[in-house]
Amino acid sequence: MLSGSDTVYVLRYFDLIGRAEGCRLLLTAANASWTEEHPEWPAEKANQPFERLPVLVERSNGDEWILCESLTIERYLARVFGFMPTDLKQAALQEQMVDQQADLIPAFMAQLMATDDMKSKQIDEFNTLLDRIVKEHGRILSRNSSKQHLFGDQLSYADISLYAFYKVYIVYLKIYQSNIDEIVKPKLTPEIINLILSIEKEPLLAPHLSKCDSMAAVLSSKAF
Amino acid sequence: MAANKNLQYTLRYFDRIGVAEGSKLLLSAANVEWTEEHPEWPLEKPNQPFGRMPVLIEKHSNDKDFVICESGNIERYLARAYGFIPSDIRQAALQEQLRDQASDMFAAFISQLVAKSEEDRKENFAKFDGLLDKLVEVQTKQINANGNIGHMFGDRLSYADIVTYAFYKIIVVGMVKRQANIVNIVKPKLTPQLIKLITTVEANPLLASYTARGDSLAAIVTKPTSARL
Repeated sequence: MLSGSDTVYVLRYFDLIGRAEGCRLLLTAANASWTEEHPEWPAEKANQPFERLPVLVERSNGDEWILCESLTIERYLARVFGFMPTDLKQAALQEQMVDQQADLIPAFMAQLMATDDMKSKQIDEFNTLLDRIVKEHGRILSRNSSKQHLFGDQLSYADISLYAFYKVYIVYLKIYQSNIDEIVKPKLTPEIINLILSIEKEPLLAPHLSKCDSMAAVLSSKAF
Repeated sequence: MAANKNLQYTLRYFDRIGVAEGSKLLLSAANVEWTEEHPEWPLEKPNQPFGRMPVLIEKHSNDKDFVICESGNIERYLARAYGFIPSDIRQAALQEQLRDQASDMFAAFISQLVAKSEEDRKENFAKFDGLLDKLVEVQTKQINANGNIGHMFGDRLSYADIVTYAFYKIIVVGMVKRQANIVNIVKPKLTPQLIKLITTVEANPLLASYTARGDSLAAIVTKPTSARL
């Protein structure tokens, strides 16, 4: 661990799962001292370095260091706290999966906001991309000897990011599109469901996940 | 860095200045053997690992190919492998942050480009315009903090320099066919600090092979704007 024991973190975001769940899970798994701030919005917009959230504030030895951009924050925390492999190729494979997942957000918004003439095309594109991501999760898992993790046999950045991804698409995005879970859930294999539930049970994640609804109930119809 | 003769790279992308530009700059600066492939599209879509481009193939003379996708991921891998991202985790994050901020601005640019209704186009353009102003502000602030020497950090070509150059190249050169007035929108916003960074990057001997391909960004941003009558 490269962070001093007197280092404290503040994660600024909205009071939503949104784009910050990966950051929350990483800070939790790291056993870091951290709190969350929910700046009044848009009142506090101009006070952020890039007028956007999330923002990570790292305070140690009287110094304050600030970072923004959700995926940069995630990769930073993953590296500081040892959840990212030090091998460049192994790191690139985990980051690749995370970046692919991130590509789905614009596709989700495009199909949500599409005008009637474009709706069906945008829905197809969203489904194609989603299918590809789920397939990739399955492929990575099938090549790993442990079925409780995507890579190796310990909680990694990829595991955390996968859990946050499914939480976003099965739980969070329902506020935008109430049937999104009915679209996503049928695509999940029993292996992926087991992986999600295994990650959920990781002791390192308990301090955060104990405050959230378990995904077990929403996935239970297929779990074994 | 001495070229490793056992490694060769192939970068697959469209024949355009787009999200693979940072990777092209990095491959050139790394002084490695590399070629570009422009697969017929969409014919070759199913033959790519994820049906998308860019794709980077790292060929080893005595090992399996290493294949990765996602433009930012390819950039970060090359930048780390060839010493353009610092090993210090905080310094690395500050450089990656600049790339992600520029990507956000590019996404906003595309939103206004593809907007259907005039109302959406105006709203999206305002968002893009505002975000670009903010980006220029944070980039200029960083250049100033580094002494305004044509580099974002330190005194050598870095990942941050390359991705900053790449994003202005995509918008000002790459996108001009799709939105002719983009030069007149972006150019006036460029601060002297950014213009100096752009010219410094382009003049770097490490990028001689890249610059020789033409499409000089420095020429466009330093050309005096012709007076309007």
